Amino acid sequence: MDSPLTLEPLFHIGPVPITAPVVVTWAILVGLAVFAAVSTRHLKLTPGKVQTVLELFVTTVDGQIRDTMQRDPAPFRALIGTIFLFVLVANWSALLPGIEPPTAHLETDAALALVVFIATIVYGIAARGMKGYLGTFAEPSWVMIPLNLVEQITRTFSLVVRLFGNVMSGVFVVGIVLSLAGLFVPIPLMALDLLTGAVQAYIFAVLAIVFIGAAAGESPGRPTSEQGETSS
Amino acid sequence: MTGNIIEIVSILAAAIAVSFGAIGPALAEGRAVAAAMDAIARQPEAAGTLSRTLFVGLAMIETMAIYTLVIALLVLFANPLAG
Amino acid sequence: MTIDWWTLGLQTLNFLVLLWILKRFLFRPVSRIIEERQAAAHAALDEAEAARREAREVRDAAQVEAERVAAARSDVLAAAQQEAEREKSRLLKEARAAADTALAEGAAELERVREAQARALAEDAAQLATDIAGRLLARLPEVARPTAFIDGLAEAVADLPDATRAGMGADTPLRVRAAQDMAEEERNMLRRRLGEVLGHSPKLTFEVDPGLVAGLELVGPHAVVRDHFRADLERIREELSRHD
Repeated sequence: MDSPLTLEPLFHIGPVPITAPVVVTWAILVGLAVFAAVSTRHLKLTPGKVQTVLELFVTTVDGQIRDTMQRDPAPFRALIGTIFLFVLVANWSALLPGIEPPTAHLETDAALALVVFIATIVYGIAARGMKGYLGTFAEPSWVMIPLNLVEQITRTFSLVVRLFGNVMSGVFVVGIVLSLAGLFVPIPLMALDLLTGAVQAYIFAVLAIVFIGAAAGESPGRPTSEQGETSS
Repeated sequence: MTGNIIEIVSILAAAIAVSFGAIGPALAEGRAVAAAMDAIARQPEAAGTLSRTLFVGLAMIETMAIYTLVIALLVLFANPLAG
Repeated sequence: MTIDWWTLGLQTLNFLVLLWILKRFLFRPVSRIIEERQAAAHAALDEAEAARREAREVRDAAQVEAERVAAARSDVLAAAQQEAEREKSRLLKEARAAADTALAEGAAELERVREAQARALAEDAAQLATDIAGRLLARLPEVARPTAFIDGLAEAVADLPDATRAGMGADTPLRVRAAQDMAEEERNMLRRRLGEVLGHSPKLTFEVDPGLVAGLELVGPHAVVRDHFRADLERIREELSRHD
């Protein structure tokens, strides 16, 4: 059995080894880009089916951000929405035969967590200033500084390992069952993987909101929730 | 033979890690589901919100078991001692 | 355990590219269209609010107008009612006055009739009494002898004024009317008595008039002296008639 932890490069572009997750990610990227470009080309005030789904998605993301961060969701909407959408599509790409989801490999999850980690720092500095952001590490007292630093690292690792473990274990279990039992037995497990994949995408996005929100802090100008609260 | 011993120990360690690591999340998930059932019995109209929150919570708890699985797979497939 | 750093870097890059693409092509237009719709909905709501306010104003104005019309109508009604009331009371008063007048006239008429009836009745009664008295006295000839009235007649002549008395029986004879024929001594007695009263002997002519019932009547040129039941009865009758 192949190790789920190692990657073999498919081919090389110059000195750069290209692995399977990268190729799948490219495909997802192109697919999402085309879908977004096509579906948003003719937006109307009276929405069609696709537009309604898109608006529902955007509104839900906004509602989640607003509920969790108590802030105007506009600056965070694209990042959080992209994280959710990409993780969801990547997780569900396991449905296609012969394709391993990119999130089943540590590098993709690490890349996502890295983006969240950097976004946390960037938004924190943007919201509080450099001094204010560094000051948050000394809360509630300076004794907590090492602990807060360690927490930054560990929660990022936790983010990586959570997504990686869930998706990878699903793929791994399906692979084992498939090697043992054959054709139709893994189907319930794959259905379970769909649920797990959706839930993990949601959790990843919500945790990103929580981290960024904690770094950015409470907005002084708290937005009044004009739209209806969208429950999770 | 040293390589074999290390492999045997690794397999044992992976099995122990998964089995014991499954105990805590199993108990936790049981408690979570029981509490959710209790809440739904008290307030059937809140069943939708409760079950959504329950699924997310179960996924978070399950992550603990996943961690042990990751460790077990690390031990099995990426054991630094096995070389 | 190995991490493929090239893959990590490429995936990060991929994610950033995807982030940019989705932001550019998905989130920005969709959120913009949502905001546009919200703006449109707000505009429509404002418009509806304005229209509603306008409708409310129009309705209020109409209500005020209706109230005014109702007030005017009730005023007119009240005036008409008052007029009718006044007319009614006036008519009532007139009718009552007319009725009162008619009643009073009727009462007066009734009174007059009753009075006339009573007078006629009294006259009849007096006539009847006179008749009865005359008839009763006629059955008592002795009592009704002229002799009994000589003194009364003489006294009545004595009561006359002197001028009248002096003129009596001087030139023309005095007519003596008696109820019954008088005997000779009775005539002499009368002549003597009158002579005492008048101071001279008058000439006398004697007549008989049963209508006197009983008594004497002396008729002179200037005076008539009556002393008989007829005169008494006449006086009584007049007396009775006058009182009703």
